[in-house]
Amino acid sequence: MAEAGQELRFDTKLIHGGTAPGPFGATKTPVVQSSAFAYQTAEELEDIFKGRAVGQVYTRIGNPTLEGLEKRLAVIEDGIAAVITSSGMSAITTAVMAVVRNGDEILSSSSLFGGTYSLFHDTLDNYGIKTCFFDPTDLAALEAGISESTRLIFVETIGNPKMDVPDIAAFSAIAKKHGIPLMVDATVSTPYLARMRDLGADIIIHSTSKYINGTANSIGGAIIDAGNFDWRSDKFPHFEQFHRKYRNFAFTARVRKLIHKDFGACAAPLNAFLSGEGLETLALRMERHCSNALVLARFLKEHPKVAWVNYPGLSDSPFHEVAGRQFGGRFGGLLTFGLADKPAAFRLINALRLAKNLANIGDTKTLVIHPASTICADYTLEVKALMGVSEELVRVSVGIEDPADIVEDFRAALEGV
Amino acid sequence: MNLTVNGKPATIAEETPVSLNYLLEALKVEQREYVTVELNGDIMDRGDFEGTTVKDGDSIEFLYFMGGGR
Repeated sequence: MAEAGQELRFDTKLIHGGTAPGPFGATKTPVVQSSAFAYQTAEELEDIFKGRAVGQVYTRIGNPTLEGLEKRLAVIEDGIAAVITSSGMSAITTAVMAVVRNGDEILSSSSLFGGTYSLFHDTLDNYGIKTCFFDPTDLAALEAGISESTRLIFVETIGNPKMDVPDIAAFSAIAKKHGIPLMVDATVSTPYLARMRDLGADIIIHSTSKYINGTANSIGGAIIDAGNFDWRSDKFPHFEQFHRKYRNFAFTARVRKLIHKDFGACAAPLNAFLSGEGLETLALRMERHCSNALVLARFLKEHPKVAWVNYPGLSDSPFHEVAGRQFGGRFGGLLTFGLADKPAAFRLINALRLAKNLANIGDTKTLVIHPASTICADYTLEVKALMGVSEELVRVSVGIEDPADIVEDFRAALEGV
Repeated sequence: MNLTVNGKPATIAEETPVSLNYLLEALKVEQREYVTVELNGDIMDRGDFEGTTVKDGDSIEFLYFMGGGR
C-alpha cells in the first residue's frame, strides 16, 4: 500500500499514490455499483452514522470507488483530503457553498469559464451571495476589492478562454493577509503543471472531465483541501463546530457532512473508476499536450492569415514569465488565436478535418470551438470582453496526435479562410 | 488497563499509561490519518497524539467525518 505517497516523485504518485490493493489481488479499486451498504447489526450502522466507525452507508454520501479516487487525488495534490463530485461545476458549487453564506461576498477573477461566471453572477446572486469581479493580472485590484463581507477569493490558474495566468503565490499572500481562503480552479493547469498547495492555494478544484480523465468518457469534479487555512475566525462562525471536532479537516468535514450530503451531487462509481484510469497517464499526456500546443502556437503565429495567438508558452506572451516560473517551463494544452473576423473563424472550423468542433477541452483529440457563438453566446459584449472572448477568436484544446498531423490540419484549413 | 471506547468498556493488556498513538495501534483504529480522537471529553490535536497519555479509567471516542449522517 502506497498510502503515504509523499516519498514518491510526482509521475510515480499518479500511478501508486494513495492506492490500496483491491479484492482478489486486483490492482484496481473495483467499480462498486451499489447504492447502499448493509450491516449485520443495528449497532454497527448506528456507529457509522454517529461517525464512531468507518463504513459506507449510501453512495450519495460515500462509496469505495469514489473514496479510492479521493485518496489518490489528495496524495497527488499534496492535500489532506478530497471529495469528488458529479461534475466540475458541482465541485465549484459544493466547495463555494461550504464557504459562503447569505450576505457574504466572493471576490472572483473576471477571467472565468462561462459556467462559473453564470454560477457567480446569476445563480448565487439570487441567493444573496454577491460576487465582485476583478482583473486577475492586477494585484492592486485584488486587494482593493476585498471588503468586510469578502469570504472567498476565486481564480482560475489559467483563464479559460482568456489564457491569462495569475501569480497564484502573490494571490495567496494577499488572501492570507486578510484571512480569506483562496480557491483555485486548476482544471487547465492540472496537477502536472503545478501543485497549487505549494503556491499557497487553500482549496483546489478540478473538472476531472478534462485532462484528468483525459479521454472524454466521464464527467466529474474534485475538491481538494490543502488543510492550511485556519477557519477559526469571526468571518467563519459556521465552521466553528467543524473545527472543534475535526480541526484542520474542518473544510472537508463541512463539505462532506453538510453541503455535499445535502446537495447530493455525487459522482457515479463508473465515472470515478474511468477518471482514475486516466489519472495514471496524466503526466505522459500532459507532456505531449504541452509540446504539441507549443508547436501549433508557433505555426499559427507565423501564418499570414492569423492575426494573433494567445499561448503563455510563446515568449512574447505577457504571461510567459509568470507561467514559466509557476509551471516549471510547461504551459498547458490550451490556446486561442484570432482570424480576420467571425466568418473567417467559421470557415476555418468547417474546413478542419482532424480537429473536432465541440464544447470540451482536455481530450486526447484536438478540439476547437468558436466561444463567442457557443459557450459564451449568452453574454453581453461587455462580459465577453471581460472574459477575453471576441468574434474572431478560436479556442483550441490541442490533442496528443502526431504534431505534424495537427499542424497539417490547420495549414490546410487556413488555405480556404 | 480498563478504558471506555466509544461508550463501551474495553481492555488493553498494558497496565501503565500509553500514548494515544500506541492506543490507536493497539485498538487497530481504521483510517488513522482522518480520525478525530476525544479523550475524556476533549478533542485532541493530531500533533499531540504521541505526547498524550492514556491511563486506566479514561474514556475515548473516535469520530470520522467520512460517512454516515450528520
